[in-house]
Amino acid sequence: MAIASAASARAQTWSGFVEARGFGYAERALPREPWVVGWATAQGTVEQKVSPALRLSATLRAEVTSTGDRDLFLDFADRDLRRTAVSLREAWLSWSVAPTVDVEAGRFLLGWGKTDGYSPADAFLPRDLTDPFADEKLPLWGIRTRGQAGAFRFDGVFVPVGTPWRVPVSSPRFAPVDETVLGLPVVLEDGENDLPRTGWGALRLLATAGDWDVGAWGRTGIRPAPLLTPRPDLAFLDGDAVAVPADRRYAREEAFGLELSRVAGAWVLRAEGAALFSSDEGLGDALIWTLGAERAFGDGTLLLTLAANARGTPVDPLLLFDRAILPAFLAVWQRTERWGSWRAVWTQGLRHGDGLVKGEASWNATDALALTLGADVPYGSRFGPFGARPDLRRARAGARWSF
Amino acid sequence: MSRRPVATPILLVLLLPAALSLPARADEARSLLVQSEERHRTKSQEYEGDLAVTSKDGKERRKSWRSYRLGYAGDSKLLIRFTAPPEVKGVGFLSLPRPGKNPDQWLYLPSMKRERRIAAQDRSASFVGTDFNYEDMEELDHEKYDVKLLADATEAGQPCWVIEARPRSDAGKSLYERKILFLRKDILYLVRMDLFRPGEKQPGKRLLLEDVVLVDAHHVARRMTMQDLDRGSTTVIRLEKLAFDRPQPEGRHTLQNLVREAGD
Repeated sequence: MAIASAASARAQTWSGFVEARGFGYAERALPREPWVVGWATAQGTVEQKVSPALRLSATLRAEVTSTGDRDLFLDFADRDLRRTAVSLREAWLSWSVAPTVDVEAGRFLLGWGKTDGYSPADAFLPRDLTDPFADEKLPLWGIRTRGQAGAFRFDGVFVPVGTPWRVPVSSPRFAPVDETVLGLPVVLEDGENDLPRTGWGALRLLATAGDWDVGAWGRTGIRPAPLLTPRPDLAFLDGDAVAVPADRRYAREEAFGLELSRVAGAWVLRAEGAALFSSDEGLGDALIWTLGAERAFGDGTLLLTLAANARGTPVDPLLLFDRAILPAFLAVWQRTERWGSWRAVWTQGLRHGDGLVKGEASWNATDALALTLGADVPYGSRFGPFGARPDLRRARAGARWSF
Repeated sequence: MSRRPVATPILLVLLLPAALSLPARADEARSLLVQSEERHRTKSQEYEGDLAVTSKDGKERRKSWRSYRLGYAGDSKLLIRFTAPPEVKGVGFLSLPRPGKNPDQWLYLPSMKRERRIAAQDRSASFVGTDFNYEDMEELDHEKYDVKLLADATEAGQPCWVIEARPRSDAGKSLYERKILFLRKDILYLVRMDLFRPGEKQPGKRLLLEDVVLVDAHHVARRMTMQDLDRGSTTVIRLEKLAFDRPQPEGRHTLQNLVREAGD
């Protein structure tokens, strides 16, 4: 038995996937935009339980695209404006200092909040908008401690140097500008990027009491989403368009929030509220709330979320990224089938009446190989976060082999 | 509504076996079930499970997981961690009992990096895409059934008590109109269960419990086969590294442990 325990403690596992995806676009703003884009990804993860109290994990990802716009270096901090060909997704060590208290250090991904689709506790965390409809998070370098004592839990995170949102602005497809100069379309170009020199810290407290789960959190430090400052004074002619550089800076922000969820029969009801404060004139304060509901119907699950900001913003919310879609209603239906799964996602912006419909079906050809077909269809007013990107209407197909 | 997702299926099967033995119609049937339950009660259970779903056309899907149970039946804590296929690797399920109520159930999804509390599952829903429904995964609580003893039978060469169990109307909606339980006479262990959906004259599904061995002084079936006789598909669950009544590490059945990646 001792031998078995030791072997178990040293258990090492490898996993990962190789994936090829293709996107076919229905429209394009400029002749330079491709109709079809290919994207190939390989990712590997190693996990090791060094001892019963010590675990480590590392994940490396490599990508190539048909547009060839990936730099060939390993961006350890993920602070480059462009996604690089090789990136370190995770590299952490976790030490259980007590049976229910862990300390983790390294590079990791966070997932906070209770409501689905949009959570004020989670929305500030850095995203990689290279594919703006993928909702992909960026990992962080930091230290984290989590623990539990009875019905109470805590989760503290310190990120000494912040990883900013990756916001590609140089593509008219991803960041369209509804203006023309001398009959030429206007596109944004990357300007100065005043990267954050410090980071942020956060503490989240959670408790469970019967059917209720409650939580409270606070954070302070540099907000990872950039504030963009267009520089028309530095505009220049870039082939078939007028390019306007957009500088980036990062503001301080303090925030406090509450979370609540309750099991009510077959439903799980969730709610969150957060107050965000910033003295930066380009950001201002916010009062964000969400309501959510989830219910399973047979092999399907329905998720509903309503999210809004009760305060006005000093600039178009579209330029604030983490609150760009507010107010919004989100509905998700996902279902598992014997052949695979499918899901439909509808996001309706309530300010401009624009929205996004996503559909996806995945067929499991084998346990390791999945083939996927899907479509992303933004629609509505060009002043909204979804309607502003009509050139992103696309069909997609992919094949993923996992190991 | 069953609030027992993933792990309970196995539990059910393991506990069920214990739930059956003796003579004379309803009272005899009840007595057999009580004896079986008492005989097979364990303080804890661990195993590694491997599940294969084979469709009518021979296509096979597999899933693997580790299961840790502490306590027994309605008082048990349960942690399950999927280990394969890669798409579900690391997904965790935690069930914690609450006196007089459905247990608290939580799911950890590595892709979201957060735990989610989940509500009662629809008992008619398929259990992770297998021929088991969530109801099949529940422990067989004989108190929720009207039972009676039928004629003896032989299953896999073993003399068995045969008990008919019909869900009571006040015990919640069941997917089945009746169940026929085959209990081995020598060890009071469930080795077969025929399941009849409403209106079915012949069983629509059949559960077989095979490869019964003695582990840590407890009988246990290492192979469970659920046949969907209407659909023609089969799900086989194999249990490896079984262990009973072993002390469980402190904190194993906590939310903190559920969210530990690369852990239990």
